[in-house]
Amino acid sequence: MLYLLHKFALLLLTLWAALTINFFLPRLVPGNPIGAMIAKYQGRLDPNAAKALMIAYGLEGHDKNVLTQYGDYLFKLTKGDLGRSISFFPAPVTEMIGGAAPWTIGLVGVSTVFSFLLGSGLGVYTAARRGSRFADALVPLALFLNSVPYFWFALIALYVFAFLLGWFPLGGGVDIVTGPNWSLSWILSVVAHAILPGATIVLTAMGGWLIAMRNNLVSTLGEDYVAFARAKGLSETRVLYAYGIRNAILPSLTAFGMALGFVLGGSILTEVVFGYPGLGTLLYHSVTSLDYPLMQAIFLFISLAVLVANFLVDATYALLDPRVRTGQA
Amino acid sequence: METLKRAFNDRRAVVGALILIVLGLMALLAPLLAQHPPSQLSNDTWLHPNSQHWLGTTALGQDVFSQLLYGSRLSLLVGLVTGLIATVISVIVGLASAFFGGVVDDILSGITNIFLVLPGLPLVIVAAAYLQVSGVVPVIAVISFTGWAWGARVLRSQALSLRDRDFVQAAVAGGEGPLRVIFAEILPNMVGLIAANFFGAALYAVLAEAGLEFLGVGDVSQVTWGTMLYWAQSSQALLQGAWPWIATPGLCIAALGTAFALLNFAVDEVANPRLRSERVAAESKPLALKPAGAPPAGDALLQLRHLEAGYLTEKGTVRAVKDVNLEVHRGEFLGIAGESGCGKSTLAFAVAQLLRPPGQVLSGEVWLNGQELVRLPPEALRQTRWKDFSMVFQSSMNALNPVMRVGDQIADAMRAHGVSDKSLIEARVKELFGMVGIRPEYMVAYPHQLSGGMKQRVVIAIALALEPRLVIMDEPTTALDVVVQRSILQEIDAVRRRLNLSIVFITHDLSLLVEMSDRVAIMYAGEIVELAPSHDLYANPLHPYTRRLMNAFPPLEGERTRRDGIAGRPPDLGRVIQGCPFAPRCDRAMTGLCEVVAPLRLEVSAGHVVACHLYDPNVMKGRAEDHAIAAD
Repeated sequence: MLYLLHKFALLLLTLWAALTINFFLPRLVPGNPIGAMIAKYQGRLDPNAAKALMIAYGLEGHDKNVLTQYGDYLFKLTKGDLGRSISFFPAPVTEMIGGAAPWTIGLVGVSTVFSFLLGSGLGVYTAARRGSRFADALVPLALFLNSVPYFWFALIALYVFAFLLGWFPLGGGVDIVTGPNWSLSWILSVVAHAILPGATIVLTAMGGWLIAMRNNLVSTLGEDYVAFARAKGLSETRVLYAYGIRNAILPSLTAFGMALGFVLGGSILTEVVFGYPGLGTLLYHSVTSLDYPLMQAIFLFISLAVLVANFLVDATYALLDPRVRTGQA
Repeated sequence: METLKRAFNDRRAVVGALILIVLGLMALLAPLLAQHPPSQLSNDTWLHPNSQHWLGTTALGQDVFSQLLYGSRLSLLVGLVTGLIATVISVIVGLASAFFGGVVDDILSGITNIFLVLPGLPLVIVAAAYLQVSGVVPVIAVISFTGWAWGARVLRSQALSLRDRDFVQAAVAGGEGPLRVIFAEILPNMVGLIAANFFGAALYAVLAEAGLEFLGVGDVSQVTWGTMLYWAQSSQALLQGAWPWIATPGLCIAALGTAFALLNFAVDEVANPRLRSERVAAESKPLALKPAGAPPAGDALLQLRHLEAGYLTEKGTVRAVKDVNLEVHRGEFLGIAGESGCGKSTLAFAVAQLLRPPGQVLSGEVWLNGQELVRLPPEALRQTRWKDFSMVFQSSMNALNPVMRVGDQIADAMRAHGVSDKSLIEARVKELFGMVGIRPEYMVAYPHQLSGGMKQRVVIAIALALEPRLVIMDEPTTALDVVVQRSILQEIDAVRRRLNLSIVFITHDLSLLVEMSDRVAIMYAGEIVELAPSHDLYANPLHPYTRRLMNAFPPLEGERTRRDGIAGRPPDLGRVIQGCPFAPRCDRAMTGLCEVVAPLRLEVSAGHVVACHLYDPNVMKGRAEDHAIAAD
């Protein structure tokens, strides 16, 4: 329990760090981001929006010092007020995130879990069958996949499978004319749109998990307790599962938590390529249109999502590792 | 540096380095190779690949091939510089954390953990968007800023384990300043890991840079592979059929990333000895063994015939066990003693068929209860294991699966040998725990909840689970304190007498063996140099090595005097040894004989065998005659 409390404290601390970075970034940057933004919109900006911005960034009255601004910022956050979008003024950014988040969580969440399972499974295979030609060939292939930019792979996949072959839709999250949400045709359309982006995420993210699991398992299979298990006359399967994989999965899980942020970052680019209506595309839009409030809110939301996912991974870890569970790690 | 050198013997590292060199040459020779300036606009837009434009042209008529060449410059620069900066930060944070400990460690580790879980790429994107970057410096800065944490964590734990090593402790105790300790003692031992880290960070940098530029957050006026993709995508290059414009920069990024990943992987494997030995294992092939001879006729439970075992390494075969012939009788307690590095553990593992590649039995036979173990098919061997013979490991601290309850670790051995009745198993586990002196409540404990002595008792209980005829114990009590050691040994002996087990007990503690064993074998350089009933050996040690071993421990009774160790070390088993292996350290070595001719094993009195020229009547007679002739 102490372990989970500790992890929860880390979650809060990291969240606070993300909030603080978020607050100070625009203030540390030389020049005036709001000025740049207003200049960019060249009068097309709603005067109300401009005013809201000035207030939001504490640029209106110079009487407030940074600490007071920081306090105000935190106070507003506790009320869930993240400000309003500039490019879609006056839509509150929370609303926009609410619209986009389910798409990302569905697509990226499912494909990340898939790629972890598939990659780790293949990692087990390459570790257990070291010396066989196919297993050994998978390792450099995994290193290559791990080095391919997500978005590039997505571009190629889109070109070949959607444009040339026409097997999949060219982009978007769902066809507009498929009927009401959650009807069968709607669901099928969502799945059809998700397959290609999902597959590219699974493939590109898989390599990292494969290498991690392989190295962990190879290390674990060299442990004394594995030799002892073998000496006991246990079957090779039992040795591999209950002694090898069961222990090797633990550092892999930790790595899973750590890499989540990176995978999510890569998926953002995948979304952009496929025009998928999730947070990645929204972040891209906010970056290109200098919609700072939206950008910041998305960053915060992504951080929160990663932190929560990480906490869940830590909790799973605690379930799997008695040393952590009994608080004597 | 050794690790780096060895890494480059690896095929993967060579491929990685080659890719890097080719890309580096592209960057260096771009002005010579490119037919057009990279940013020069022309009216020849959307050209397909032709002799003028090998990879076609862009939407603005720029030559894709030239852009690819020039693009390698910044892409490589950002990757390498960012990798370097991130690595330097990792090293500083990791070492400071490990070395200063306490509050410094708490704060630095806290910051590291925060950066580890913060989503890096979104942060980079947001930061870059604010910076409205121009040029590559801000890109390098933001990527380094988010890319150092993983390395810091890995390096910290490595530095922590180094800090506790003897040589570092010695340097600290010797009054060396912290900086000197870090630079002279710790850093040189982390070169491999730091290099692996650099390649890992560079890989991250290349991908993050490409992502940023693709989104147009970087400085899109510069020519890099990432910005090429940005312009290609925003011009809808694929729909125009200008696939080389998209395909080639992406492939180059992937190639650069793969080069870093291959180098990272190869260096990591060399720096991590366990991954390394497993690699050799995968590559070494088992030797063909000659068919076994006839089963032994006598009543010996275990008979070793000309057993040779060793390790196949890149430098050749290390013969750690040489021509060992030994019998163990039913109910016998046989001790094997010798310094570390004499092949005792290899012998135990060879008998138990537990040598893992690169270790293996090279030749000879192991007969146990009428079965020849070396040539036994895997499934038959599995069934024989634990039923006929079990083994207690030297490092019982690590012999138990950390995530399994200790009771279950006995139960699964029993289930593997056909005992499936749950209540029967539970009763047996209780009984075994009683036998080795552990309260039955501990059946449900995990290994980390037990003390060292208790873990050792559990391992012994596991070894006795199926009442095997033979238990091989490889230094089972070395790690324990003397009191615990004694009580465990007494229990082992009591169990042995009750069940009429045979025990092969391996230790470097000869005085212990003399007290407990029926017979003692002395091993040196992989050979058994003396074998005798223990009272005989104690009263009348023959081999000069045995005498020195005896002398290295205090006598069982009588006056305590200063003990001398044995000067020198056992020989390197990877070399071919001529003559008697102990000759260089022997105070009674006969020049011109011992270092040339290997001594024969002779039985000098009933059951007392020794391999030493001093006890070979023919040799001694010959020498006496030689001396007589010389005296004439």
